[in-house]
Amino acid sequence: MATKIDRRSFLKVLGLGGAGAALAGCDMPSYATMEEGEEQVFSYLAPEEYVVPGIGVWYASTCLQCSAGCGVHGRVREGRALKLEGNPDTAVNKGKLCQMGQAALQTHYNPDRITSPRIGGKNVTWPEALAFIKEKVTGAPVWMTGSISGHQAVLLDAHLNASGGGAHYAVETINAQAWQAACADTLGDAQPNLHIDKALCVLSFGADVLGTWVSPVKFMADYGKFRAAPRGVLTVVEPAMTLSGANADHWVAARPGSEAAVALGVAQVLASEYSVSTSALPSGAADAIVAMTPERVNALSGVDAKTLSKIAETLMSNSPSLVIGDGSYETAAAAMILNLMLGNVGATITPSAELVPADLGVRSGSTKALADFAADAQAGRIGTAFITGTNPAFTAPGGLKIEDALSKIGLKVAVAMFEDETTQLCDVVLPLASSLEDWGSHVPATGAGRGEIHVQQPLMEKLHPEVLGLGDILLGLTQDAGADGLEDFEDYYGYLRTAISAMIGADFEPEWQAVLQAGKVQAPTADRSFTANGALNFNVPETKAPPAGRLSLITTARQGLFDGRHANLPWLQEAPDQISKAVWDSWAEIHPTTAAGLGLKDGDYVTITSDSGAITTRVFLYKGVHPDAIAVPMGRGHTHYGRYATGIGVNPLNLLDGTADGRTGEFLNTTSVRVQATGDNRHLVRLMDVDQQYGRKLAATISADQLRRNQGGA
Amino acid sequence: MSPDRPKRRPFPWIRSIMAAGVVGALIVLGGQLLEQERVGGESPVTEAGPRVPGAVFPTDTFVGKDVPQPINYSHKLHAGDLGINCLYCHTYARRSKVAGIPPTSKCMGCHTIVATADEKPEIEKLTLMWESGQSPAWNKVNDMPDFVHFSHERHLQKFLFDNPDMNIEDSREVCAMCHGDMVEVGVAKKMRPLTMGFCNTCHENNDGPADCTRCHK
Repeated sequence: MATKIDRRSFLKVLGLGGAGAALAGCDMPSYATMEEGEEQVFSYLAPEEYVVPGIGVWYASTCLQCSAGCGVHGRVREGRALKLEGNPDTAVNKGKLCQMGQAALQTHYNPDRITSPRIGGKNVTWPEALAFIKEKVTGAPVWMTGSISGHQAVLLDAHLNASGGGAHYAVETINAQAWQAACADTLGDAQPNLHIDKALCVLSFGADVLGTWVSPVKFMADYGKFRAAPRGVLTVVEPAMTLSGANADHWVAARPGSEAAVALGVAQVLASEYSVSTSALPSGAADAIVAMTPERVNALSGVDAKTLSKIAETLMSNSPSLVIGDGSYETAAAAMILNLMLGNVGATITPSAELVPADLGVRSGSTKALADFAADAQAGRIGTAFITGTNPAFTAPGGLKIEDALSKIGLKVAVAMFEDETTQLCDVVLPLASSLEDWGSHVPATGAGRGEIHVQQPLMEKLHPEVLGLGDILLGLTQDAGADGLEDFEDYYGYLRTAISAMIGADFEPEWQAVLQAGKVQAPTADRSFTANGALNFNVPETKAPPAGRLSLITTARQGLFDGRHANLPWLQEAPDQISKAVWDSWAEIHPTTAAGLGLKDGDYVTITSDSGAITTRVFLYKGVHPDAIAVPMGRGHTHYGRYATGIGVNPLNLLDGTADGRTGEFLNTTSVRVQATGDNRHLVRLMDVDQQYGRKLAATISADQLRRNQGGA
Repeated sequence: MSPDRPKRRPFPWIRSIMAAGVVGALIVLGGQLLEQERVGGESPVTEAGPRVPGAVFPTDTFVGKDVPQPINYSHKLHAGDLGINCLYCHTYARRSKVAGIPPTSKCMGCHTIVATADEKPEIEKLTLMWESGQSPAWNKVNDMPDFVHFSHERHLQKFLFDNPDMNIEDSREVCAMCHGDMVEVGVAKKMRPLTMGFCNTCHENNDGPADCTRCHK
């Protein structure tokens, strides 16, 4: 070391140190943090007897953050909802609640809530808004919603019937339509019960059961049991790693769109190497299996014969197993074929109970409904549209030209909590109550509870006096339309209470109170059995490596921002992404080999261009993505969604071309894009920024082989 | 004369450091002066004998600000002259972490009969609020920071209800440990420093818990 400290520098350091020490010693008196007369405290005028300030009371209700429909308990203190947890008495979530459910508080208290009806962006009164709608309505109104069930769905149908028989479009970007179609075709039951907890091996083709698929909280709880002794083995085949993939024992990258080929390839190995019979399969299946030789699988998906054998061996040595597939109809149907071959039907897949009041059942959302809506609007078949619980202007593929389609509709009424890309295009916006302010009944997305319907009750008074619950709005519109039998109900609460009481034969207050206390009500059900299956038509896509300079864009779904509806919740923007650990921004996952080929390094900005548009974001080099793919998570990139979401990140959904699955009509999640570097590079802000520990053994690891040698065992 | 004298004068380090030291000293001394003015420090217990049997009674005093209130409620009149038990109005203190401001319905329970709106201008204000369905917006006198969790229930349990030598009617003596003799003042004032040092001293003297997370949650 050549550095020499001279007398001058020495004095400087000494002096500064001394001044620092003197300043540190002069602590402000600690009551400087305490205030007198700064805050106000309001007493009750005449409190209810059970209200004690400072003591929370828990009420049961239902979570509406996604369409799984988990039961919740909410803590209320001094008239304010403060905390949500899972309702332990529900069969679906058994006391657990995911981060999106926890963040419902921020949906409720969000400063960007719409507090008044609006016409053309100007605040008006409810009578003015309703008079405007009455005056401008043309043709039979249609409804576009998210997945919807329970008594709101019944009223929605009643409104449509009473006002001319318009269509109902239930739209969900993240759905399980392909799986449901495959189950309906092979078992005659679109939503069979899945028992992950009873399986010893789970094989998933592109279904993120732990993250976003159908009812993630339910599946996570089952997964916990599945991983307890004897430890189940999880294998995941997908083009870009999801939360489920990250938890898998064996993760296999398949070329986007080729999961069906891998599943059929595994089926062929089972048939040829383990002599598993294919004779009882639906017609068409056996031929598809024979055609899918390991060489063909490799050509289509890039998955080699050794991997197929390993997956088959895992399935054979861990029985019963469960195979799940989603993303395209072929993938789901191939997964069901594996289940049929392996004898899982009846073991880990059982018939769901049929809800006897069938009109309460779930209207599962799809992207086909969005395509239908756009087509009907373009053709001028829609005069008036009510839109709630979905944001088509944000989620629609660019190829759909949804803005153009919406502009063809005479009157568009949004029933919404927040201004978003869709409400911007609507003529009238009606302010919607939050899930913590509203009444409702919801049928969970899985049939786990055998007819358990979750009841939603307000946890607190409405924050904004002008907002109305969806049920109340539907009831009002239906009454206005002159529907029979609804005249006597003053509000949706009265309707819901009467309807539920009639269903369970309850006439008295205590029974109704018991329903509210439990947060659920048992609807009558009928047993169902799997029915004989018809033919399956396989049309396995001819996937191949993309031409030079092009990649397959995959829009990935994440628990958190979901399809973008939660981007305005700071908690979820701030929660590190499960895969990249990034916060408050978008990124594109790309395989290091592909990145090297394109001359890209971590943090380089790229422009991703499809026929429908372009986005510019930075790349995140990650081995958990197929080399032919570039994966951009959906959820960010809002242009109009309040102060927390607007201008944060990019939206990959608009880049999709809208190619639809042949059987289900669902949009396929991949599209061909061009990727070009812009020359910019900036650091992606991530929690846990580096992948290495600099030799410091911060997290001690041991290889499985070493552990076996040290600890003994098989 | 040295020809290559630098044009810019070097920064006067020593003088700056000394000046910073003087400023620092002033801040320290000022803070201490302020503290002396507000906190009376140790003062003799005014009444003979232990006010709360089995407990070391805090004797720190503090001169709180005058906090204006929407209604000039007098503790001296109600709790002192009339001898109403603190827990009659602050009824939540024994059931919750907060003592609570009494609901207006409780005030009106008496004031529709005694000292009514016709007799007293302050009660007239209260009655008008009650009739128009408005709660008075009281200004908070004793306001703990949000990171401190103080439970009235726990302290009353220890010093009043679980204290075998304590006369159960003398709740005001227990309240006075942290709130001073409210029966001496009109509109409420802060009369103890309620700093962490104050809490800690009392916890040490009375075997209260000493782990951080008991109060800081």
